[in-house]
Amino acid sequence: MVTPGADLAPLVATDRLTVDYGEGPALRDVTLTVPGGVMGAVVGPNGAGKSTLLKSVLGLLTPRSGRALLLGDSPHRTRHRVGYVPQRSSVDWDFPADAQTVVTMGLYRGLGPFRRPGRRERERAMQALETVGMGHLAKRQIGRLSGGQQQRVFLARALVQDPELYLLDEPLAGVDAASEAAIIAVLRSERERGKTVLAVHHDLVSLGDYFDWVALVNVTLRAQGPTATTLSEEALADTYGGRVVLAARPDRPGVREEAAVAT
Amino acid sequence: MQALFDDVGLVIALTGVLAAASAALLGSVLVVRGQAMLTDAVSHGVVFGIAATYLLTGAVSGPVQLLGAAAAGVLTVVLTQWLAASGRVRRDAATGLVFPALFAAGVVILSLFARDVHVDAHTVLLGEIGFVWLDQVPFLGLEVPRSTLVLAGVLLLDAAYVLAFWDRLVASSFDPLHAKLRGLRPGGVSLGLLVLMAVTAVAALDAVGVVLFVAFAIVPAVAARLLAGSMGGVAVMAVAAASAAAVAGYPLAVALDVSIGGTMALLTAVPLAAAAAWRLARARS
Amino acid sequence: MPLELDPTVVTVAAGAVLLGLTSGALGTFAVLRRQSLLGDVMSHAALPGVVGGYLVAGTRTLPAMLAGALVTGLAAAALAWTLHRRLRVKSEAALGAALGLGFALGVVLLSYVQRQPGAGSAGLETFLFGQAAATLRSDLVVLMVVAALCLGAVTIFFGELELATFDPTYARARGHSVELYDAALTGLLAVAVVIGLQLVGVVLMSALVVAPAVAARQFARSLRGMFWLAGGTGAACALTGALVSAASPGLATGPVVVLVASVVAGLALLVGPERGRSAEA
Repeated sequence: MVTPGADLAPLVATDRLTVDYGEGPALRDVTLTVPGGVMGAVVGPNGAGKSTLLKSVLGLLTPRSGRALLLGDSPHRTRHRVGYVPQRSSVDWDFPADAQTVVTMGLYRGLGPFRRPGRRERERAMQALETVGMGHLAKRQIGRLSGGQQQRVFLARALVQDPELYLLDEPLAGVDAASEAAIIAVLRSERERGKTVLAVHHDLVSLGDYFDWVALVNVTLRAQGPTATTLSEEALADTYGGRVVLAARPDRPGVREEAAVAT
Repeated sequence: MQALFDDVGLVIALTGVLAAASAALLGSVLVVRGQAMLTDAVSHGVVFGIAATYLLTGAVSGPVQLLGAAAAGVLTVVLTQWLAASGRVRRDAATGLVFPALFAAGVVILSLFARDVHVDAHTVLLGEIGFVWLDQVPFLGLEVPRSTLVLAGVLLLDAAYVLAFWDRLVASSFDPLHAKLRGLRPGGVSLGLLVLMAVTAVAALDAVGVVLFVAFAIVPAVAARLLAGSMGGVAVMAVAAASAAAVAGYPLAVALDVSIGGTMALLTAVPLAAAAAWRLARARS
Repeated sequence: MPLELDPTVVTVAAGAVLLGLTSGALGTFAVLRRQSLLGDVMSHAALPGVVGGYLVAGTRTLPAMLAGALVTGLAAAALAWTLHRRLRVKSEAALGAALGLGFALGVVLLSYVQRQPGAGSAGLETFLFGQAAATLRSDLVVLMVVAALCLGAVTIFFGELELATFDPTYARARGHSVELYDAALTGLLAVAVVIGLQLVGVVLMSALVVAPAVAARQFARSLRGMFWLAGGTGAACALTGALVSAASPGLATGPVVVLVASVVAGLALLVGPERGRSAEA
């Protein structure tokens, strides 16, 4: 049982990373260090470079300068060991496959030509589906799943890899409450097992509830560190550029949570 | 055994089935990937390859021609991608610009330089399945129509590729990015598919011509997609439907005294209509 | 071979200019509305209509065959639309299916006609790849009328068509009946395709609708400019191709015209000013 803490080597790190998108930098001079074992989030306004950061860390984009390190090495070498959970919109869900088939795709790496996934692979896929609460939908055509269910299928696909690190791109966006609860529960349980989680997160309000580490990004890195200490008024104002209102949450009187009002 | 290959009707039907089946096999993968028009583009583009190969080497058949066809097929796709990526032309216009240009160039070259060779614009477009039995080659002690033999070989090649790389095909069709991250090389898989499509198109040209090849590639796959819940199901059903259409097409065409290839291709409408009717009926219940 | 004032050549030239102008100009909307593929479908599916028109009319008359082409071309479009909307077939695949089936039907009908006694059907096969020399004086009248009607209609309703093409949601909000304009533009695309079939043939006609518009887009700064520039480009390419093909027996017109148009489009893409957009997603 591994205790999450700063003594674990960073699984995700960037060094003065600058990435261009033709009309100016999407990311500029970002030096990020995500400690091992955290449940981390990347937040920032729309178009701020959050997805760009994730893609750079996976080696899917070439930086103009600087570099990214994944699991301590070049992303191209290590990315197959990462459980990547992309945005739902990245695929066309009108595809002839059931949920179990998609999850089994997470295991395709180990198979050579002419080798097919067998019973063992299908069982592991089933287990992953059970873990995310989708066991009863294993044979459902993916086009007929709800958004939250599709997101859970993607998570299950990452689960079967048993990766050291999970990278998720807005996993809770547009997702129903039951799916959100299931996804968070699974990620927490993985963290308990010593895994590291880094998610681009869309919502500041739930940030404190779910994540214990945060990076604030708006083209540059505004702040990074434990959520409790990093989410200050100044950091939020700097990142979101608008007025930030500190308000008490009605369901937890006495606890002050931040709500940002972006302009 | 030789008697089988001397029976003209049998040979024609067999050739048709082989052409239809290989077209449908690759076509079903492309249709599921959302790349149906690639079959149209590539099968037109190979004509340029045939013409250029003939111009450069004088070859009208054989591995050289297939190689030239494969190169032309790849060229078609690469040019289209490049044009679309330039931002100056939308993807559909890029497609509609590149493959007709290559096809036109091929036809012009053939018209100017290949007048007295059997490879001409008309054959390329429509094929002449009724005449495939005229050109025979020795094979394992038998006299076998060359076109049929080549198609059989190509079908085996297509089937082998698809089976060998099935899971990569499925994964890269559904989520190419994820496949790339997992080291499944979706780019290589796509390239292989492309090359095979070009080679298959050339092999089938003698029999059914370019556009009918497209009909065999797309229509059965669309029908199968309406019914199947897995990519494998689509492939199996598409090949079966295409083969059935080819088998039924020959006697029907003979009875009506019309184009054999055309009838075979037209009959693919039957499985499509049946699948559509079944689907609509299910939606209502 | 003298080409100057031979009346046949003049006829061919005039016909080519008229249809190149019409197809090229109308192609502007096809390209902007991303209907290049639809044009290809209508073109291939026109074959059964051409043959059908001949069968119904009993003789090879252009109006009958073009009318038939229009009917089957639009029927194919309707088939693709039905597959896409009612059966949720992906648009590309639906169009490909319609194209394949339409052309197969055409091939079957063509072969049926060719086996009938009588020499009248001999000219039908020229509809595959086109034949400039087949243009008759009487055809010119048809072409002129169609060109005038189509280009005239577009000119009259240019503002509405422009809006419906650029921003249909806004147009609807402003009370325009976008569905009507959509239908009209699709119908015009069918005409643009069908009008050139005799010259360019069913297999390649769609390229004559697409290439001039693509070339014009590289230089035009307004829709109106693109419209007329595409028309002029289409006319020039059709004229050049027709004359070259008429002078070379054994060289079908369609491939030459399309080759010319493609080269022109290619040059325009190379030479045209940068429009500074980011790469296509």
